[in-house]
Amino acid sequence: MRLLVIEDEKKAGEYLKKGLEESGFTVDVASNGIDGLHLALEDDYDLIVLDVMLPGIDGWAVLTRLRAKKDTPVLLLTAMDELEERVKGLELGGDDYLVKPFAFVELLARIRTLLRRGPPRDIEHMHIGDLEIDAVRRRVRRGGQRIDLTPREFSLLQLLARRRGEVLSRTQIASYVWDMNFDSDTNVVEVAIRRLRVKIDDGHDIKLIHTVRGMGYLLDEEREDT
Amino acid sequence: MARLSLSARLAATFVVITVTCFSAVGFLLFEAAARRIHEQDDTNLVLATRHLRRLVAELDSPTDVAAHKDRLIISVLGDTNNALRIEDDAGHVLVERNSSRVPLASTGAVPVARRIVTSDVQSWRDADDHEVRGVSAIGRPGDGSSVTIVVARSLADRAVLLSRYRRDTIAALAAGMLVAVLLSYVLVRRALRPLHAMADSAAAVTAHRLSTRMPAGDVPAELEALGGALNAMLARIEDGFTRVWQFTVDLAHDLRTPIGNLRGANEVALTRPRSVAEYQALLGSNIEECDRVSRTIESVLFLARADSPQFALQRVVIDAGEELQRIADYFEGLSSEAGVTVQVTADASVYADRELFRRAVSNLLSNALRYTPAGGTIHLRAQKTNRGVDVSVENPGAGIPPEHMEHLFDRFYRVDRSRSDSAHSTGLGLSIVKSVMELHGGDVMAHSEHQGTTRFTLLFPDSPISG
Repeated sequence: MRLLVIEDEKKAGEYLKKGLEESGFTVDVASNGIDGLHLALEDDYDLIVLDVMLPGIDGWAVLTRLRAKKDTPVLLLTAMDELEERVKGLELGGDDYLVKPFAFVELLARIRTLLRRGPPRDIEHMHIGDLEIDAVRRRVRRGGQRIDLTPREFSLLQLLARRRGEVLSRTQIASYVWDMNFDSDTNVVEVAIRRLRVKIDDGHDIKLIHTVRGMGYLLDEEREDT
Repeated sequence: MARLSLSARLAATFVVITVTCFSAVGFLLFEAAARRIHEQDDTNLVLATRHLRRLVAELDSPTDVAAHKDRLIISVLGDTNNALRIEDDAGHVLVERNSSRVPLASTGAVPVARRIVTSDVQSWRDADDHEVRGVSAIGRPGDGSSVTIVVARSLADRAVLLSRYRRDTIAALAAGMLVAVLLSYVLVRRALRPLHAMADSAAAVTAHRLSTRMPAGDVPAELEALGGALNAMLARIEDGFTRVWQFTVDLAHDLRTPIGNLRGANEVALTRPRSVAEYQALLGSNIEECDRVSRTIESVLFLARADSPQFALQRVVIDAGEELQRIADYFEGLSSEAGVTVQVTADASVYADRELFRRAVSNLLSNALRYTPAGGTIHLRAQKTNRGVDVSVENPGAGIPPEHMEHLFDRFYRVDRSRSDSAHSTGLGLSIVKSVMELHGGDVMAHSEHQGTTRFTLLFPDSPISG
């Protein structure tokens, strides 16, 4: 999968390239609109990450000219969190929109969604190690032992399982499980994860729920550096 | 002409009024004087004629009348302007005195039997077209014959007198008007001087000198209201500026802590080689500090947007019970860990922006959880009132000390700055609640008892207030 990042901020370009490459993508970075548009039109990328505020020609112009010729998915990055900006971005043909500063895991999740990579595992039965999740009957077993979860705990576990191996930020979790779409300064998600962890991992040598400090949580059989 | 100064306009108005009044008064006075003179002249003519008729009656015959000519003239005609002629039946002149050569007409003579009155005075014109007024009457000497008496007066001298009077009046009027114009202009200017003083004061107001106020005290009552209103406006602007300034200072201070932490922790980490685990811990902590800065920025931006008039509320009718239960549910983990019960009592619908409603109540509930002792119960209530719906969050606890009450909703105000969880709170939670309520045209109220319950009430109005 080839990605093009059009970002004038040098540090941002560097960390995006590094992070995305480590997540398995091939990444090119363009530091201005003209080069970016040129690359986007010459090469065939699977997705373009486009900063709106660019010197020379801005992100809107790049998007407009690109859309005249190609349908490459575009994820817009901006520091402006105004409603009109979002509407404009989507009207011009942007596929998604992320406001700076954003969590890298959030960016990764959006990119994966746009690429239909790692689609939501809407499987009736999910197995992670010895953990079994029956989505239809909403039952959870570990090592054959039944675990009772509240509806919210079940939603949280299901979310983590569907995105197995992916780090989910607190904001993403709050939005998905409780439909709370603002950055609250409480540690509600931490507590919920702690309680879920007691039920899922307590008494088992292999821990499934992992905390990635500062970033969020993930569910997977094992994780090298935890 | 559209932009004449107020002084000029008022002075011009005064001039028009003065000219009109002076002219009207002058004209009326002139007319009255002229009429009085005419009346007096007519009366004199009538009285002279009556006197002559009586004198004639005492004499024997027309011949006798002619013989007493001097006596008749002297006794009756003190006024040398008067002309007199007495004729007999045949038209022979018996007596004549006419130094100013007034044409005399003997037509329409008043008969002997009738009394002479002023309406018998006739009017005609002489060769120079001056008006002449005169009376003629029949007199009867002792022998029973009749003579015609004519007494007349030229008004030429009166015309001269009146025209002189008119000229004097006009001159006086002109002088009076000139004085009135000058005086009114000076007076108006003086009366408007407080306005100029106000303009000068207003011109002295800048962002750095907002404490300037309009002069008060010796201003006229009419301007006192204006000055008061301007001063009140200045006070509000000054207050707004002070708050913006204070907000900027607080924001800068607030950002110092996480940035100081970031810098310090990184510097310490770099002083010597560390284990991978230590670096990972540091980076994790860095992200937490970044999140803290992000949260502050997000909150500040939210408040700024809420202050802008373009903020678009997406109001819908919300089942308050359902929504409060959802929020309680969100905090369920947190509250049960703290050993606190959250109880929802509601049967009302709120007309509000769902997202903002959640945000406001969540902020209050998360505050309440912080201050509720284990075993306590927090009540979330929504109830209908006559002005709308009251949504309240009530918790037991130590209560908020009274000195903090009035600052609770100030931005970056923290009741207890030393609390361990202050790193988690932006100090903007309650300001956001207040902003949300202002956007809804409602209000938020805080009530707290020492060692008792603390209650925050959100007042949602029933119908949308425009804007």
